[in-house]
Amino acid sequence: MSTEIDTAPALTESQARALFEKEFVPHLDAMYNFALRLTNDEDDAHDLVQDTCMRAFRFIGSFEPGTYAKAWLFRILKNNFINDYRKKSRGPTKVEFEWVEQSFAGEDDPEPAFQADLQAETVNEMLGDEITSAIQALPVDFRMIIILCDLEEFSYEEMAKILNIPIGTVRSRLHRARAMLKETLASYAMKKGYKTDMLSA
Amino acid sequence: MKTNCSHQPDCLKLIQRILDKEASAEEEARFLANKDQCLPCQEGHELELALRKALKTSCHSKCPSSLLESIRSKISSIILLILLLIPLFCWFI
Ligand SMILES: [Zn+2]
Repeated sequence: MSTEIDTAPALTESQARALFEKEFVPHLDAMYNFALRLTNDEDDAHDLVQDTCMRAFRFIGSFEPGTYAKAWLFRILKNNFINDYRKKSRGPTKVEFEWVEQSFAGEDDPEPAFQADLQAETVNEMLGDEITSAIQALPVDFRMIIILCDLEEFSYEEMAKILNIPIGTVRSRLHRARAMLKETLASYAMKKGYKTDMLSA
Repeated sequence: MKTNCSHQPDCLKLIQRILDKEASAEEEARFLANKDQCLPCQEGHELELALRKALKTSCHSKCPSSLLESIRSKISSIILLILLLIPLFCWFI
């Protein structure tokens, strides 16, 4: 069970408002983009960002000014998403979920079986829609880590905190996610008849 | 120039760590010194750069202004609630 004590922020009204404007608002575009990539639905993304902000605001008293608010907010967003996502997909209960997460936390993701043969020029010629659908096609854990790293430029250490996994897992999961992304793009390219070599081992 | 890299899986990992700004200065210098002599490493480096660029240009979306307004008004009502509840609570005690 989560301990949700309704802590009134130990701040005055104007302090809390100012903190919101200064620390949250600059990250809203990035949060919305992350939420949209995760849910693939504008209404769900809207709700997810709103819930994240309300939760963050409720615990704003525990936020230390000067620390990296973006990583803190992304961590809350990711936790909210996992809880909601689990509800919607009628997955395991929270306790079971945490057990699953922990049991995998110590292990690195396995090495990708192969690297797709994809050329930089092919990627440069691709349409934005193809790139976004290749991202959406990734399993959510891999999609998440690619967005955090390549789009939001979080460090490995920050991603480890946001995702609650060891740094070694961040590194191997990223490597695997990128191999999967390249594989998907290579398959699009082959379908469209871009010139690529066959997939090689 | 080498057209075959015998340690390509390791090179690729290093390339990714360099672009992620997680490699040491020595590792980066060592890679840059060898890159000119190794075609697969050069191509791998270009591909990783192209992927990052493609992601940055394609996966953008802005927070709708309606969402920002909705969050602001929710926060205002929470603040109002707290301002009302605290005096009430103190009064009962
Ligand atoms: Zn090489």
